[in-house]
Amino acid sequence: MNNQQKVPVTILTGFLGSGKTTLLNRILSEEHGKRIAVIENEYGEVGIDQALVINADEEIFEMSNGCICCTVRGDLIRVLGNLMKRRDKFDYVLVETTGLADPGPVAQTFFMDDEIRAEFSLDGIVTLVDAAHIEQQLGRSDESTEQIAFADVLVLNKTDLVSDDSLDALEGRLREMNKMTRVVRSENANVPVDTVLNLNAFDLDEVLERRPSFLEPEYPFEWTGVYALEPGRYELSLDDGPDPTMSLAIMTNQGSDDTALRDGAEWCVRQYAEDAENFAAGSTLPIGKHTSLQLQDAGRKSFFFEVDTAGKIGLYAQHTAEEFNMKVLNTESNQEIPFECERTWVAQHEHDDEVGSFAIERDGDVDPQRFNDWLSRLLRENGIDIFRMKGFLSLSGQMERYVFQGVHMLFDAQPDKPWGESTRRNQLVFIGRNLDEEGIRTGFESCLLSQ
Amino acid sequence: MSTFTMKQRKGVTASGWSGTVDDYAIAGAWTSNGGVLVVADVAGGVFGFEGKSGKIRWAHRGAHGGGALSMAINPITDQVSTGGQDGRILTWNPETGALSQTIDLGKGWVENLTWSADGKCLAASNSRRVHVYDVEGKEVWCSDDHPSTVSALAWSQSQELATACYGQVAFFDVFSGDVTQKLEWKGSLVSMVLSYDGDIVACGSQDNTVHFWRRSTGDDSMMAGYPSKPSYLAFDAKGSLLATGGGQAITVWSFQGDGPEGTRPGVLEAHLEPVTSLVFAPKGRILASGARDGSVAIWELDNAGNGGLIGASQLDDLVAGISWRPDGRGLAAFDARGGVTTWRVRS
Repeated sequence: MNNQQKVPVTILTGFLGSGKTTLLNRILSEEHGKRIAVIENEYGEVGIDQALVINADEEIFEMSNGCICCTVRGDLIRVLGNLMKRRDKFDYVLVETTGLADPGPVAQTFFMDDEIRAEFSLDGIVTLVDAAHIEQQLGRSDESTEQIAFADVLVLNKTDLVSDDSLDALEGRLREMNKMTRVVRSENANVPVDTVLNLNAFDLDEVLERRPSFLEPEYPFEWTGVYALEPGRYELSLDDGPDPTMSLAIMTNQGSDDTALRDGAEWCVRQYAEDAENFAAGSTLPIGKHTSLQLQDAGRKSFFFEVDTAGKIGLYAQHTAEEFNMKVLNTESNQEIPFECERTWVAQHEHDDEVGSFAIERDGDVDPQRFNDWLSRLLRENGIDIFRMKGFLSLSGQMERYVFQGVHMLFDAQPDKPWGESTRRNQLVFIGRNLDEEGIRTGFESCLLSQ
Repeated sequence: MSTFTMKQRKGVTASGWSGTVDDYAIAGAWTSNGGVLVVADVAGGVFGFEGKSGKIRWAHRGAHGGGALSMAINPITDQVSTGGQDGRILTWNPETGALSQTIDLGKGWVENLTWSADGKCLAASNSRRVHVYDVEGKEVWCSDDHPSTVSALAWSQSQELATACYGQVAFFDVFSGDVTQKLEWKGSLVSMVLSYDGDIVACGSQDNTVHFWRRSTGDDSMMAGYPSKPSYLAFDAKGSLLATGGGQAITVWSFQGDGPEGTRPGVLEAHLEPVTSLVFAPKGRILASGARDGSVAIWELDNAGNGGLIGASQLDDLVAGISWRPDGRGLAAFDARGGVTTWRVRS
C-alpha cells in the first residue's frame, strides 16, 4: 500500500491558549466534504456534528527495546486500529495533543506499530504559537521548543497583539530552530485550511520551490567571485564599506560550475577555521590563506596578489563585492578584470537556541550499506537529540529517488519517483538539540560513492 | 487478496449457512445450545441469526453509537451483552432480541466484556477502570484508575478477575476489592489469556513478545522472536497448550512436563498473512485460526503443540473473529466485510 491510499494524519500541537481549539473548530466547520475524525485529549470544547470526536487519554509508553526515546502513544494505536475497521473510512484524522506534550511519541507511533503504519501516514505536524507569549515559553520549557522543532507548519497566532518588528524577529528565531517549517501568520487562527491539511509534509520539492535557499549550508563568507587570470601581479581595490575589516581567502584552480564552487567553499571553511592574518592596505596577500583585510582608513584601499600560472582563481570574501565596490585590476594596464561568475552564500548566524536545524545537499550516489551503518550508529548515539530528519536520497543502484524521514531513533525510507533525467542528488535536513553539524556532515560525506 | 489452497486431509468440515451484517463484524457468540448466533458490527448493529438456518431472527442497527466493540454471553443464562464506543453496555435476550438492560458508563469505550464461568458476574473495561455487575445489572465493584487503559480482562475464578494494562497484570477479588496479586513487567500488554486452572497467565506485548507467569511459583518467562505483536492468544481447554499469533505462523507452546521453557514450540504454517483470530474448540486439541488474508484453518494438535491441518476455507476479507458452537460441532467466522460464515464440524 503506498502513501496515497493511506489515511493522512495531522498532529496539532501548541501550548494552552495558542488557539488549537479555534483552529480545530475552523477546520471542522469548513465545507470540505471530507470525513474527519478528531482524536483529542483535552475534553469537551469541540462539538461539531459532521466529525467524529474521540477522547483518548494520552498514554505514552516506552518500547521495551532499551531505547528511552522510543516512546509511542498506546491510546492512538488502539483508537486508530479501531477507526480503520469501518467501511466508510475517514478521509482524514486530526490528533490534538495536550499543551505540554512532546510531539515525539505521537509521531513515532506512525513508525513503530506495523498495523498503524500500514493504514495511516503522518501527513504533517502543525504547531500553533501564541506570538505574544512564545518567547517566554521558549525560555522555560523544553516542550515548547520541541513543538517548534517538530513542526512542518508553524501558525504564528495572535499577531495583532505584537508589533511587526517583534514578529519578524520572532519568525527569524523560529526559522533558525527549524528551517523546514512553513510559517503562517494569523490573528485568530484564521488560516486557510489547506495550509494545515494535506500538507504532504515531506514533499521537499515543494519546500525547495518555496524557499530554494533553505538547504544551503551556512558559511562564514557571503560571496565568491571567479576570475580567469594570466600569470602576473594583480590589484584588489576596495572602497569604503560596512565593516572595518573583511576576511578573504584566495583559491587557485577554481572551477566555475556549482560543484566546483561548493568544493571551494568547503575548502575555504577549513581555511577560515585557522586564525586570520591581518594585512594593511598596500600588502601583498598570500594565496590559499585566511586573511583579514584592514579597512579602517577612509577612501580607496589596494591590496595585491600574484598569479604564477594561467588559470582561474576564486576569491572567497566575507562580504559581497558590491558592498565594498571590490575590483580586481591588472597592475600593468590598470584595466579592471570582470569576474567570470559569482555566487553568494548564506551567511552564518549566531545561534543562541540549543535547538537548531541544518541541511546537507550533495550531488552523487550514496552507498546504501555505508549510509545505513552510519545513520544507525548516529541515531543510536544521538537519537535523543535528533528530533526530526527528512530528505531525499540517491541510493546507488536504484532508479527511484528515496524519500526518507525519521523521528528520534526511528527512520524509514521509501522509493519515490524515478530520477529520470534530473541530477541525482541527496538533500537532508536535521532538526535537533545541540547537533554536531560538522560531524554529521563529515559522516554523510563518507557515505558518498566517489565519482 | 491472496489465494489459499490447501488439501483437507480429513475434511472434517462441511459448509453451513452464511449471512451478512452491515459492516466489519467485530464480535460474535453462540448461545449454549447453538440455537442463536449473535453478531455485532462496527456500525453499531447487533444481529441474531437462527443457529440452524442462518435466518436473521432479529436486528438492532445502530444500537451502539460509534460502533460496537465487544460482546460476552452469559454461559448460564445465555444473556448477550454488547459494549460500544458510546460507553454503554446493552444486554439482549438472544431468542427475541429484546433489550433487557442498559448500563451507561458515560465517556470512554467499552472495549472488553467477559462473564465469569458461573454466570454471576459481568466484567467490563472502560478506559482505566473496570466495572463488575451482577446478572441484574447492579454494580458489584468498580476498580480505581489503572495506570493506563485496561487492554484485557479474564476471570481466574468465580470472584477473581485479572486485568492487563501497560506494565502489569493485576488480580482483584471483586467482592472485597482487594488486589490478590500483581505481576509487573515493563511493556505494553495487548492481550491476555489464563489457563483453565488460572495458574498460567500469558500476555502478548506491543514489542513482539509473549510474556507468561505461573502464579503458584511466581516464575515468569518471555518468548521473543515474533515478527509482529501477538495480539491473539488461546489456551486449550486443559491449559496445556498455548497458541500464539504475532505473524503469519501460529506458534504453539506446550506446558506439559518442564515446558515450555527450553522446548521447541509447534509451528503451524498455512496462513499467508498475519493471524487475526485463534480459538480452541471447547474440547480436545482442535484449534481454529483466521488471518488477514481471509483464510480460516482448523488444526488438530498433539501434546507437543505440533499439528496438522484438518480443515480450511477462504473468506472474502480479513477474519475478524471465530466462534465455536458450544458443542464443538459447529464453527462461525466473521469477516471485515460483514460476512458471517458457518461450518459443521465432525468430531
